[in-house]
Amino acid sequence: MLKKDLILRNPLRLLGNEQETILSPGSFGAILARAGVGKTSLMVQLALNSLLSNRNVLHISMNDPVKKISLWYEEVFRHIAEKYQLVQMDQLWETILPHRFIMTFKVEGFSVPKLEERLTDLTEQGIFFPNMIIIDGLPFTESARELLLDLKQLALKHALHAWFSVRTHRHQTVETDADGVPSEFQNVADLFEVLVGLQPEGEEIHVRVLKGGRTERNHGGLQLDPATMLIMDIADKAAAV
Amino acid sequence: MRSEILKVRNIGISAHIDAGKTTLTERILFYTKRIHTIHDVKGKDGIGATMDSMELERERGITIASAATYCEWRDHEINIIDTPGHVDFTIEVERSLRVLDGAILVLCSVGGVQSQSITVDQQMKRYKVPCIAFINKCDRSGANPSRVIQQLREKLGHNAVAMQIPIGLEAKLAGVVDLVKMKAVYFDGENGETIRIEAIPENLMAEAARQREILIDSAAMFSDELTEAALEDRVTEELLTAAVRKATLTREFTPVFMGSAYKNKGVQPLLDAVTDLLPCPADVENQALDMDNQEAPVRLVPDITKPVVALAFKLEDGQYGQLTYIRVYQGNLAKGDTIINVRTQKKVKIGRLARMHADQMEEITRISAGFIGALFGIDCASGDTFVSPGLSLTMTSMYVPMPVISLAIVPEDHKAEINMSKALNRFTKEDPTFKAYVDEETNETIISGMGELHLEVYVERMRREYKAGVTTGMPRVAYRETITQMAEFNYIHKKQTGGSGQYGRVAGYMEPTGEADFIFESKVTGGAIPTQFIPACEKGFRNCLAKGPKLQFPVTGVKVVINDGASHAVDSSDMAFQAAARGAFLEGYAKAKPVIQEPIMKVVVETPTEFQGPVMGSLNQRRGIIVGSQDEGAMCVIETQVPLAEMFGYSTVLRSLTQGKAQFTMEFFNYKTVPVSITEEIIRKAQEEKKHVA
Repeated sequence: MLKKDLILRNPLRLLGNEQETILSPGSFGAILARAGVGKTSLMVQLALNSLLSNRNVLHISMNDPVKKISLWYEEVFRHIAEKYQLVQMDQLWETILPHRFIMTFKVEGFSVPKLEERLTDLTEQGIFFPNMIIIDGLPFTESARELLLDLKQLALKHALHAWFSVRTHRHQTVETDADGVPSEFQNVADLFEVLVGLQPEGEEIHVRVLKGGRTERNHGGLQLDPATMLIMDIADKAAAV
Repeated sequence: MRSEILKVRNIGISAHIDAGKTTLTERILFYTKRIHTIHDVKGKDGIGATMDSMELERERGITIASAATYCEWRDHEINIIDTPGHVDFTIEVERSLRVLDGAILVLCSVGGVQSQSITVDQQMKRYKVPCIAFINKCDRSGANPSRVIQQLREKLGHNAVAMQIPIGLEAKLAGVVDLVKMKAVYFDGENGETIRIEAIPENLMAEAARQREILIDSAAMFSDELTEAALEDRVTEELLTAAVRKATLTREFTPVFMGSAYKNKGVQPLLDAVTDLLPCPADVENQALDMDNQEAPVRLVPDITKPVVALAFKLEDGQYGQLTYIRVYQGNLAKGDTIINVRTQKKVKIGRLARMHADQMEEITRISAGFIGALFGIDCASGDTFVSPGLSLTMTSMYVPMPVISLAIVPEDHKAEINMSKALNRFTKEDPTFKAYVDEETNETIISGMGELHLEVYVERMRREYKAGVTTGMPRVAYRETITQMAEFNYIHKKQTGGSGQYGRVAGYMEPTGEADFIFESKVTGGAIPTQFIPACEKGFRNCLAKGPKLQFPVTGVKVVINDGASHAVDSSDMAFQAAARGAFLEGYAKAKPVIQEPIMKVVVETPTEFQGPVMGSLNQRRGIIVGSQDEGAMCVIETQVPLAEMFGYSTVLRSLTQGKAQFTMEFFNYKTVPVSITEEIIRKAQEEKKHVA
């Protein structure tokens, strides 16, 4: 199966507009959910989607070591390969691997100047030029706004877009605005062009676009398959049944 | 030797390079009064640590061969095997872990969990060896034991819990607080040999109490009794120790101790922990395989009255002749007994028995179940199982990684040639990952092993121990060939020109497979190829694998299916079908888009952050794919996958890029198809070599 087929069949495209990417250069997206619901899995799928389009992904993690992130990608890729019955999975994997770079930081040791320095190390030597950044595990405290503004500058400068994971808490999801954006996130929500929430309802995990993305958002409904954590279109699920 | 195995501890000391294993062992031997003076590892006094009995070890400050020794502490017999930390000598660590019951994982308080500690930990997991951790070098600038404990949890997934807290750190390291006894321990005397127990210093009381709570909470998960006692605030030393021991034996808990072997602090409490927390041979379940029952697992009982089951785990050809280190799992080995080598089925009569102290030997009368000792004059290979006559058991064979690098060596003169042969004979017997053979085409002697350092050390040992000087050629990479698509074949082998002829036709297809090196399947029906010739077909195909048609590299990952053929009543024979199969293989292979594959190594570089850029550049230039970089404050860890062919001489490059402050480890990862440009280069070189030989 060609890479292109995989991308077209991927329900992720339903999150975005007619262009292939959901976010434009310089823009931010966030996945909001409580702990353990599927933020990392969804971000890895977004990353794989880009990798399959030959776009470079820089995956930054504040929590997990390189090995663990690597395992996430292998797992998710394997699930995708099984779902779409990919014949030469290993070969495809080898072609996308060079397009991914993982960086891990300690939360307290992370700063935008440091990240910029690391990026320069890579770009100046022609080693790696990211088109997309994933930032997993950044705490959204009160001082986050300043950090995010600096990151925005960095993203615009390098013409890349970024996805963030935002861990919400039970009490936060109760106090939300009309769009369903948790109150504690509202002070930085304006910096994000797209917000996606993962909401567990019984045994299902619903993927809801809270801001940006397709105008007819939440059409039909997107969910995460609890067995594989892959995104799926409810319409496909019904057809399969 | 002690007959109560409850008081025996067979332990290994494993760690990353330079974490301080050998110094630690030296101190242990000193405090257990096994030796009477301490010598530094890098021989400032010109002598070198006791355990590094080879000159090379003393000189380079690295430990190469594992040495076994025993000592006594608190009425327990402790057998220690000091093992190398460098990944090139992994086979030594593997062997030791196979025969030990427990281990001490030594970590540097500054470096923490480093890449080789991860490899060693995986080995301990593979053989289910319980361990305690010792955070060494707490006297170093930048020492941070709590960060190391955090790393043990995060990077190795251990349930690591501090059993002590340090009293002072770096230059101010004065002693440790024992969280079980809730006392401060100091080490007085010229060599720290006098223990002084005092009350915990005021300024550390709060922290000690806090850490003790964490310890009790963690240990209570494994003991209802302790949980109750904790709730009623009546936790005793015995109860806490028993709970920690129970959890340690099942590898669900890793007790962490700390100190500085070099500064003589923290070693005696570590020895106490070895006796209190690590298993005796009876605590560990060992299994053998029943060869009469399709290798069904059989539990071994460390009972001296039962038939003998023992494993030879190390051979040494030294000043006393051939020495075989052996671990007895069941029964009792005494001088004059007869045992069977399960692999060769030969009877062996036991001569002299000994126990070893590095390179000094002490004769003994027997080796009982649970103990480690050495036998003299037994001809065997490392990994052989010995049993009492009548028993048909074998210990599981030890995991042996395949060599990835080879080197051509040329003896300097005739005398060197003779000595070189002797040396190679000995080394290959002792180390299954080290191989030596003569290349038929070039007539060169080729040695192969796990890395540059591995081979370098053997070349050096040949020079020193056997006076065999050799010059070395360029290291060679173990390339392989494989196919990438399905291809059919239909080949007739015919020689029917008069007299007895040959005839055979083999048809079918070959396709790539990831499941094994070679799979052969016959789907021939209706006797198209008579059944008696099918094995000859398989043999013919197999014979083609050793040297691939493309570039004479071994062929792997091929599945051959034959589904048709033809034979002649008179002229068909095994030979004819072998030849037909060979022709079929060549025909199919050419159509199956064969490619060359090269070994890819997982290279992990630890470097100060300021050199991260140049290091990544150096790896990128070597066709490396950088998987990621992990920021660890002052240091960072870069993980890459680099073709082995590009890694020669990298240690020198890395040293100069980073002022000698970076380290790297390299281990085999997988095989990958070589890019087209490199393939052309390899073909060109191979053609040149052929011309040269011709």
